[in-house]
Amino acid sequence: MAGPISRSLCSVRVLIALGMIICIGCCAVFAGWIAPHDPGDQNLLSILTPPAWAEGGDPTYPLGTDSLGRCVLSRLIYGARTAMLVAVFASFGAMIIGSILAHISGYFGGAVDWIIGRMVDVWMSFPPVILSLILMVGLGVGLGKVILAIVLVDWTRFCRVLRSEVLIVTRHDYVAAARLLGFTHWQTIVREVLPATLPLLITLLSLEMAIAVVVEAILSFVGLGVGSDQPAWGQMIADARQYVYQSPWNLLLPILAIFLTVTSFNLLGDGLRRTLDVRLAETGR
Amino acid sequence: MIATVLKLIARRLLAAIPILLVVSALLFCVLRLLPVDPAAMSLPPTATIEEIDAKRREMGLDRPLPQQYLIWLTDALHGDFGRSIQFGREAGSMVWATLPVTIELAGAAMALAAILGVGGGLLLFHVRGTLFEPVADLLSILLLSIPEFLWGLILLFIFGVVLHLLPFTGQVAPGLPLPHITGFLLLDSLLIGRFDVFLSACQHLILPAFALGLAFSPTIMRVLRSSLFDVYHEDYIQQARLRGLSEGRILLGHALKNAALPTLTLAGVQFGILFSGTLLVEVIYSYPGMGNLMVDAVRNADLPLLQTIGLTYCIVVLVINTVVDSLYVVLNPKLRVR
Repeated sequence: MAGPISRSLCSVRVLIALGMIICIGCCAVFAGWIAPHDPGDQNLLSILTPPAWAEGGDPTYPLGTDSLGRCVLSRLIYGARTAMLVAVFASFGAMIIGSILAHISGYFGGAVDWIIGRMVDVWMSFPPVILSLILMVGLGVGLGKVILAIVLVDWTRFCRVLRSEVLIVTRHDYVAAARLLGFTHWQTIVREVLPATLPLLITLLSLEMAIAVVVEAILSFVGLGVGSDQPAWGQMIADARQYVYQSPWNLLLPILAIFLTVTSFNLLGDGLRRTLDVRLAETGR
Repeated sequence: MIATVLKLIARRLLAAIPILLVVSALLFCVLRLLPVDPAAMSLPPTATIEEIDAKRREMGLDRPLPQQYLIWLTDALHGDFGRSIQFGREAGSMVWATLPVTIELAGAAMALAAILGVGGGLLLFHVRGTLFEPVADLLSILLLSIPEFLWGLILLFIFGVVLHLLPFTGQVAPGLPLPHITGFLLLDSLLIGRFDVFLSACQHLILPAFALGLAFSPTIMRVLRSSLFDVYHEDYIQQARLRGLSEGRILLGHALKNAALPTLTLAGVQFGILFSGTLLVEVIYSYPGMGNLMVDAVRNADLPLLQTIGLTYCIVVLVINTVVDSLYVVLNPKLRVR
């Protein structure tokens, strides 16, 4: 894997995307040190103040305050923590379930493949937004519940795409050779099939992180997200929408935060796809 | 020709019925797992435990889950989807009233997405190999990263709040009548001959439709571009060039037609996703469609309504996918069975 990894590190897209993700990740990890205020602290004497550079701004609140007098910058930084937690755990969860089922389905074929295929069909006939909303009604609000809902909705994305890749890889002679050498099914999948599907897996993972960030924002926006005690970008947007005339910045800043995070994951996914996918790399597209 | 298409669609829709049954059963189970008691919710807060128990028996909630599902299914097949807990009206007729609003929005958005997507795809392909290619490419990824609900907010902010150009709440300006003939407002307003209502409805439709269209066009753009790339490797393009056709005629007359097929398949899948994407856009613009009704039902744990809406979304998406699948077979001569 040394080749593809060093190749992808040479790609400008991947580097820019990684840089952005590391910045957002640092905000998430060190939120307690970076944020100037506690995200829940209310200062009802200065509500809806504009950012420090605008007229009437207060330097103690660099990006202003919201309708309850909470520091917008601190809430953005803590919101990054929520978004990144959801992005990482939800996408890994979906990847694990989806790729295990995809490998079983594509490798063994037959009845197992049929059952898993029909399961994916049924699952995918639910529009993702609708399914996650209904699941959130059933599960209740909370960070863990959001992650669980996204995993339950999005495992199919991995399963469907990876299954066809596994199907192709399994037909290669070296897989048959591994079986002839006495490898068990488990060993064959882990040592021979998985390394071949890994590039696709990593690309899908990165794209899934972008999706997870959006879904978390949507759920928080509707009020079925991580809960009101935890700052989330979607919640900030829902709150700021009611005061859009008084303080437009409160609406624009979380939008920008979501946009930057989603863009960096998409850019990473696109860069990885170009460098890791041998077929694409050869045609030079 | 049309008869074969209809036959194909009918056959595929029949094949979708088992999926629909499983989907409705799943929906039923998930919603029954809720820690709320529909019987207690449909009674006034002063109701006694005995009254609630009586109501539970009346609603069939004391029976085992499979039996409850069968009761619901039998009623649903007779067109009875139960009563909304918060409104006390029939869930089926409430959904039926809001469905056209959402279909109208989704249709307008899809048309916009197709126009923007095809235009953008041709443009992306046109700049291939030039200095603009990386720029256009990056731009398309940036566009891809703005989901419909962010577009909704951005457009609302720019055109509604800052520029005051377009209205951004509801379906028509307050004070204007809302005719109800077919449920499709644009059509109804023309049917009763009120052009002011029609104009107002169009104005109110612009922002939500653009929010959805802009969010879904980048995918169409990128697929059209890559299928155009594939098509340009084919011999008939070379041959057309040898025959002395202009590049423009090759692109629009030969390549586009062949690249349209994969794009159409994708557009169909996208339309399914777009249809459920209306939910957020409706919430943002207070557009009185099915999405707004669903979020309302979600917030109030209105189970019968939630179940009906969830099922309706699934049915519509399933129908759209089936129709697009069939169209694909019809339009692609290679797949036609003689």
